[in-house]
Amino acid sequence: MFKKTRKSRLILVLCVSAVLLSALGISPALAQKRFEGIEITVFTQTPPFIAKPVQMFRADWEKETGGKVRLITAPWAELYPKMFSSFALGAKNYDIIIFPAAYLADFASNEFLAPLDTFIAADTRIDWLDILPVYREKISTYAGTTYAITMDGDSHMFYYRRDAIENPEHQAKFKAEYGYDLAPPKTWAEVRDVAEFFNGWDWDGDGREEYGVVEGMRKGAQGFWTFFSRSAAYTSIPGQAQGLFFDPETMNPLINDPGHVRALEDWIEMIEFGVPGMINMDNGEVRSVYAAGEAALAIDWGDVGVISDTDPGSTVKGKVGYSILPGTTRAWDYVKESWVDFPEVNHAPYLAFGGWIAGIDAKSDNVEAAYDFLSYLGSPENSYICVTTPETGFNPYRESHFEKLAGWYGYGFVHPEDYLGAIEATIAHSNVQPDIRIPGAFRYFEALDAQLAMALAGAKTAKQALDDAAKEWEAISQDLGKEKQLKNYRASLGLPIE
Amino acid sequence: MPMTNILSSFRGKKAGRAFILPAVIILLLLTIFPFLFSLFLSFGKVSFLGGLQIHFAGLKNWLRLFNDERFYNALSNTVLIAVIAVAMEYVLGLGLVLLLNRGVKGSTFFRVLFFLPMMLTPIAVGYMWRMMFNPTRGPINHVLPLLGLPAVGWLTEPKIVLYSIILTDIWQWTPFMILILFAGLQSIPPALLEAAKVDGASGWRLFREIIFPLLIPASIAAILLRTIEVLKIVDKIYILTGGGPGIYSESMTLFGYSLGLRAFDLAYGATIAFSLFATILVISIIFLLMTRRSQEISLE
Repeated sequence: MFKKTRKSRLILVLCVSAVLLSALGISPALAQKRFEGIEITVFTQTPPFIAKPVQMFRADWEKETGGKVRLITAPWAELYPKMFSSFALGAKNYDIIIFPAAYLADFASNEFLAPLDTFIAADTRIDWLDILPVYREKISTYAGTTYAITMDGDSHMFYYRRDAIENPEHQAKFKAEYGYDLAPPKTWAEVRDVAEFFNGWDWDGDGREEYGVVEGMRKGAQGFWTFFSRSAAYTSIPGQAQGLFFDPETMNPLINDPGHVRALEDWIEMIEFGVPGMINMDNGEVRSVYAAGEAALAIDWGDVGVISDTDPGSTVKGKVGYSILPGTTRAWDYVKESWVDFPEVNHAPYLAFGGWIAGIDAKSDNVEAAYDFLSYLGSPENSYICVTTPETGFNPYRESHFEKLAGWYGYGFVHPEDYLGAIEATIAHSNVQPDIRIPGAFRYFEALDAQLAMALAGAKTAKQALDDAAKEWEAISQDLGKEKQLKNYRASLGLPIE
Repeated sequence: MPMTNILSSFRGKKAGRAFILPAVIILLLLTIFPFLFSLFLSFGKVSFLGGLQIHFAGLKNWLRLFNDERFYNALSNTVLIAVIAVAMEYVLGLGLVLLLNRGVKGSTFFRVLFFLPMMLTPIAVGYMWRMMFNPTRGPINHVLPLLGLPAVGWLTEPKIVLYSIILTDIWQWTPFMILILFAGLQSIPPALLEAAKVDGASGWRLFREIIFPLLIPASIAAILLRTIEVLKIVDKIYILTGGGPGIYSESMTLFGYSLGLRAFDLAYGATIAFSLFATILVISIIFLLMTRRSQEISLE
């Protein structure tokens, strides 16, 4: 009798629920599987880095929505041509692309990407305002419209060996030699002194000679980003429109101004205080050399911090300190064409590379499903898992990523609060400098890269190399259409186009 | 004409042509079309703004090339690597072949050992030698101070870097010379050598008057093939130095790759590729003319 009553009640509840849902126009089956039969194609870099998050989360999204995610990958060098040809030919090969932020201007100015502002405004899952302003307002946008979802927060930061700098014997010796206290360098001039001080002797007592600094200088790798990390503070005055690449009024190159020349002269001098062979090192080698305990100072993305603390082969676990990129006490004002002196250190952290972002093909037949997958992948919860998981290639970019330390301890960090503090100080800095984001960005970079390499090898002076680079930049702008490039550059900086 | 003859004629000629036609079409599509398209690109301008567009630009890219200091640097680096590496590979290969041919103890083992580097991919060879040349952790610079010699910046010194690259190429590709020359040596009739020995020919005379002249066809093939390959060198340089320090080790192919695929200046990249093609063509023709003359002399 009891069983029969319970069964009857259950049937009644189900019937009432069905009637109510029908009245609301919702079918229970359809509500749960809203993308049944839809397959979206995601295109990005060959795994593990960058593609791994898609591999991690696609099964859950498929289960929840009924949709399918097909992942297509290619090596770095093939990303741009494949993405561009798919868009330009209208082939609709990929619904979603996860790509370097530097490509956004190329894609957005050609109207290849779907505008996402409407989706974001209606999205309750993505918590858009949790993303740090520089990413949601600058890196993911073009001419005031959002075309991409932030997936990764990339910026250069500075590393130093705590154990070396905090050693009282080293501190006394340094003060005797340089006349001021040994501390984590705040300016590039101090970086030079500290690098010189720690170069060429066994300061950690392991029986081997150590060196002052390690930075990526290799031609054809990431050296030009390291150069801009140094030149940013010499050329960026707080409150002024970006003076790092071009004059936003004329599109004339600024890379041979006295600020950049001074930065390159500083950089060339670092070869003397660096790990032997530094001129041929890319950032991959910088990471392994630093984790092997060979240098006191380093410049890199977040990766040196990750590898130093989490790699089982690291000899410097817990010994690394992190900071915002050093600054300067003077900077070149490209408007007044004179040096400006600062009473305090002028920092201008640089968002080198700008990170990976994800966009949707404007011609895709599955824009809604594609956006839903990106919203799922980039939600606060899932993105936190991504940035605290090895080999995703993603670094923190949301407020919430910096608040919860448990995941970072679980990742293997000894001082996650310091690591995250340095990244947050970089990204949230009022004078932070975004990377170049105009069509042909890598053509400009390639021309500069060759000239920087010649200066580092001693084949040209800093001034000669940068003058030649400026001529090449001007020629590239002329070739691409200087007026168009000026508009693109202004749009990338969020300045009025006309 | 009787029907059987017509059918026979069709089977003999037209049917044959019909059967090879698909292969010819595929060959044309896969080789001639990209070749002609690249040639066309070298006279064009590729624009990505507003979609993919190709415009005729006349000789603009070629004029830019002939005024580009980087082009002359890459060309001279490439030719220098090719001349020294191929010459050294030939001399070493010939010497080792003569040694192996004398039937020294363990020659079969050494023959297999010598061929191993050639079986490795250039990328693996590049990484291996990059580790060997590492200034602080590499075994070469570890050993040099033990011998009282200073450590060397193998890949960072502008005056040394090309020779380091040449060394890696010699290490990997001398076995190729050994392979070709050994086959050439095996084809020399033993009776000829025996007869010369009976006539009192010494080892040097035997080599100078019989072995070397008869090895000339194999030598020409080996040198020509290696020269063409080395002129296209890119993979090992890409891994070892990326073309640096400065542009002191940039080869033609790496120069073309940097401009064409890193900077996406496709038209200029195609121009660089075609200038390399022309260089290889000219060098090959000169080499063949020179060796034809020397063959005629040796036959006389």
